[in-house]
Amino acid sequence: MKLVAYLRSLASTIFPNGREDKEMDEEFRAHIQRQADDLERSGLPRAEAERQARIAFGGYERTKEECREQRAGFGLETIWKDVRFGLRMLYKNPGFTAVAVLTLALGIGANAAIFSVVRGVLLRPLANRDGDRLLYLRQSLTGDDDVTFSVPEIKDIGRNLKTIKALGTLSQIDFTVVGLDDPREVSAGVVDGNYFDVMGLRPVLGRLLNPGDDGPNAAGAVVLGYRFWTTTMHSDPTVIGKTLRLGSFEGTRSATIVGVVEPSIPYPVEVEIIANIVTSPHHLSATMVDGRVHRMTEVFGRLAPGSELESARAELNTVYAGMMASHPDVYKPNDHFKITIARMHDQINSRAQTILWVLFAASGLLFVIACSNVANLFLARTVRREPELALRSALGATSGVLRRSLLAEALVLCGTGLLAGVLIAAPMVTVLGRYAARFSARAVGLTLDSSLLWIGVALALIAAIFLAFVPRLPSSDVSRGFGLTSSSVRITGGSRRRLRIFAVTQIMASFLLLAGAAALLRTLLVLQKTQPPFETSHVLAVNLPVMTDGRTPEQVREFYREVQRRVSTVPGVEHVAAGFSVPWRDSRELSISFTFAIEGAPRENGQDDPRARFRAISPGFFETLGVPIQQGRDFNDQDRDGAERVVIISQSVANQLFPGQNPLNRELRWTDPVLKFIGMSFDPRRIVGVVPDLDDQEIIPTPAMTVYQPSTQEGWYGWRLFVRAKSDPYALVPTIVREVHAMAADQPVERASTLDDVRAEVMTPDRLNAIVFGGFATLALLISVVGVAGVLAFSVSGRTREFGIRLALGAEPRSILTDVLREGLIIASIGVATGVLVGVIFAHTVARYVAEMQLPGAVVLLASAAVILAAALIASALPAARAARVDAVQALRSE
Amino acid sequence: MNPQADLLPGTLDLLILKAVSLGSLHGYGILLRIQQISRGALLIEQGALYPALFRLVRQGYLKASWGTSDNNRRAKYYELTSDGRKRLREEEAGWNRLVDAMTWALGAEAEEV
Repeated sequence: MKLVAYLRSLASTIFPNGREDKEMDEEFRAHIQRQADDLERSGLPRAEAERQARIAFGGYERTKEECREQRAGFGLETIWKDVRFGLRMLYKNPGFTAVAVLTLALGIGANAAIFSVVRGVLLRPLANRDGDRLLYLRQSLTGDDDVTFSVPEIKDIGRNLKTIKALGTLSQIDFTVVGLDDPREVSAGVVDGNYFDVMGLRPVLGRLLNPGDDGPNAAGAVVLGYRFWTTTMHSDPTVIGKTLRLGSFEGTRSATIVGVVEPSIPYPVEVEIIANIVTSPHHLSATMVDGRVHRMTEVFGRLAPGSELESARAELNTVYAGMMASHPDVYKPNDHFKITIARMHDQINSRAQTILWVLFAASGLLFVIACSNVANLFLARTVRREPELALRSALGATSGVLRRSLLAEALVLCGTGLLAGVLIAAPMVTVLGRYAARFSARAVGLTLDSSLLWIGVALALIAAIFLAFVPRLPSSDVSRGFGLTSSSVRITGGSRRRLRIFAVTQIMASFLLLAGAAALLRTLLVLQKTQPPFETSHVLAVNLPVMTDGRTPEQVREFYREVQRRVSTVPGVEHVAAGFSVPWRDSRELSISFTFAIEGAPRENGQDDPRARFRAISPGFFETLGVPIQQGRDFNDQDRDGAERVVIISQSVANQLFPGQNPLNRELRWTDPVLKFIGMSFDPRRIVGVVPDLDDQEIIPTPAMTVYQPSTQEGWYGWRLFVRAKSDPYALVPTIVREVHAMAADQPVERASTLDDVRAEVMTPDRLNAIVFGGFATLALLISVVGVAGVLAFSVSGRTREFGIRLALGAEPRSILTDVLREGLIIASIGVATGVLVGVIFAHTVARYVAEMQLPGAVVLLASAAVILAAALIASALPAARAARVDAVQALRSE
Repeated sequence: MNPQADLLPGTLDLLILKAVSLGSLHGYGILLRIQQISRGALLIEQGALYPALFRLVRQGYLKASWGTSDNNRRAKYYELTSDGRKRLREEEAGWNRLVDAMTWALGAEAEEV
């Protein structure tokens, strides 16, 4: 009831119509008439009666006005009036409005977009049920702080935990899947029956895996990842019940698709499908089940109800210490084995965290710059409007009224800026999302939501209030500084100081952004200048996933040898080789390294065996990559299974273990206990060649101890084909695919790419960093240049009279020019100096939280400072030129 | 002494509600009714009446409708809503408490203290 009355009243305020006014008139007039009737009846003549009735009624219009004020939302009307006034003022100054709105739009848009991304990637809770109770376990040891677990370890750790409800395990494996449209290699996770329950995920279709799917006698079952289902299977609901053949390096098994899991973040490895243990023969082998050092399994946990992370950490440490004590042969004191445990959410964010917060800081700086710039424009304009404001205040406008009208103007400005900003922000979120996807799987499929708008509104409000309170209102002492007759502007000292402060703030923030961008650019340039240690532009890498279906290892090796032979006959092919890892791309294979020992070289006391990267390659590998063999020979076709075991070592192995000796024909022996699970022998291998150090992991090469072994002899297959082309490598791809399919129609041929492109792909994050921050810095610089130019132009126009007098007294125009330029340079220098100071303080604060934080070098800082100063000089040039052109007579007459 | 008492602030609303509770009235009628029921002791300043009426309508205590008066003139009649009736009861109770308290206070004798 009350609400209805209020709303009706409000409606008549917002949508005024003449009816109400007329009704008021009618009501009041009837009142006066009645009173006059009564007076007339008491004996007064009609005219006198009406006169007295009107007097008794009091101020007619005032009563009407007072009645109107009783209506709901009366305040709105005044604000609306102010807003209309503001709109008119802005409309009359299109240049000012355009610059201010554009600047605000950039500031608001960039911040809203980045906050959306930060929120989506870092702050949003995980899709998993009770995601904050989800844990991620890891071990670390000296030299490797990121080690997975072996099955015996998981058994030891997971037994009788009180603080953790259950452990779920996943190990990544590549399956060659037959039964989809085309046979293809699919990244799969092999999990135990607890996995989905621990992860807290639900099916969108069918069912997930449960403890009933464990054990060697269960039927093969596969759950599709949501993305795999929607993209590869086109969200086909009939896939449930379909049977797939899953091929891995130890054989092929059948599995039935039982369900599709809801969208969730694949962490720490991207897996497209998830299968039970029986689908992978390797997971049932003794290697996997009994091998304590055969570590390939990720472990997740879920906190038991009522327990906290700290208590779980304490319990795990105790359990882990017990396990280490009972296996001293495996957990040597020197290795400093440790178990680490983290919340899944923190673990996932760890990589994206730094970059996104830095980006957020950068966009915050941009907002500061934008606000300062608009504040400057606003302030300068208010100073020009001082006569008007003074007049209004002289006519009785209180400072509250003036402030309110400034606020309305600022609101209109910021509101328009907000609209434009949201328009900019929407596409920015898409771009930034793609960028953030490099660092966090959570950024994939990031969508826009209303939070973007709310952030924008909040920022616009902050900016508007800030803007409205920046200008000083004319003092109530009207006689002072009130020059209605004068058309020129006199700038009060206070306003001028504020203008300069904002200009300095802008320069400072731009400098910080520029220095940051320059540092990133330098990193990128260093990366790009680095020459790869081998031929990359003409070498094509192609994945040929293993198809073991019913074939012996020797038959598989023969298949790869035959592929190599046939592809080498293709016209345009210079060399062909095979290996088990594509440089920079196959991170899992590239990270394989083993300990080894040299025959006859006695180990120094207490020193562990040296460790070298392991690489399986075919004969011709070095020739294909254009790397010379420094000593000895390449592998050849005689180096096959059953023949003498041979290896090739890299220069740094030779230097370190055979200093001043000839390494050829010496013998080397793998000593790593992991080897027995891979099926490689510990027998000595003869060194037949020495090659230069080839770093195929890092863009900036480091001397890497590497030992090469023929892929045709033992261990991994050469399932990556390297083709050196005479001209365009990509032109060869169709022919290569045809040749392979001629041998085996369902053999997948995947990810053909030149090594150049693989390398470029690895550098993409660095390039994106440089581009994004460079973009920010450029924007900031542009805004600041406009800002500095604006301040100087304003200062020049205010000093016209001074320049006129100086010119009249015989000053050189050039001295006035340098005067203005100097003013610009001083502003810029102070800005840069403050920037350095703020930057150092900021870096020191951040360094406490982020370990890899470092200050950019002197070159970067100097270059950024030079750019800023040059920009300031350019910005001052125009106003300076105008100052020097001042006509003395005109200037003095204008007073 | 002035035979007409000054209105205490805040009592105008109460008087209007009371006057209207005795039957729906137009603005001028409310003036006369207040004069009548206060036996001529309270005289409302006419300029304050209409803003108060508008306020009470907005607050939902009164509702207004157009009708015809005795001499066939169109007039805006005000009547109490149920909220208005409740408000009137509350205000009356409050007023009576105040009057009692004031009467006791002013009637106090030295020996009672």
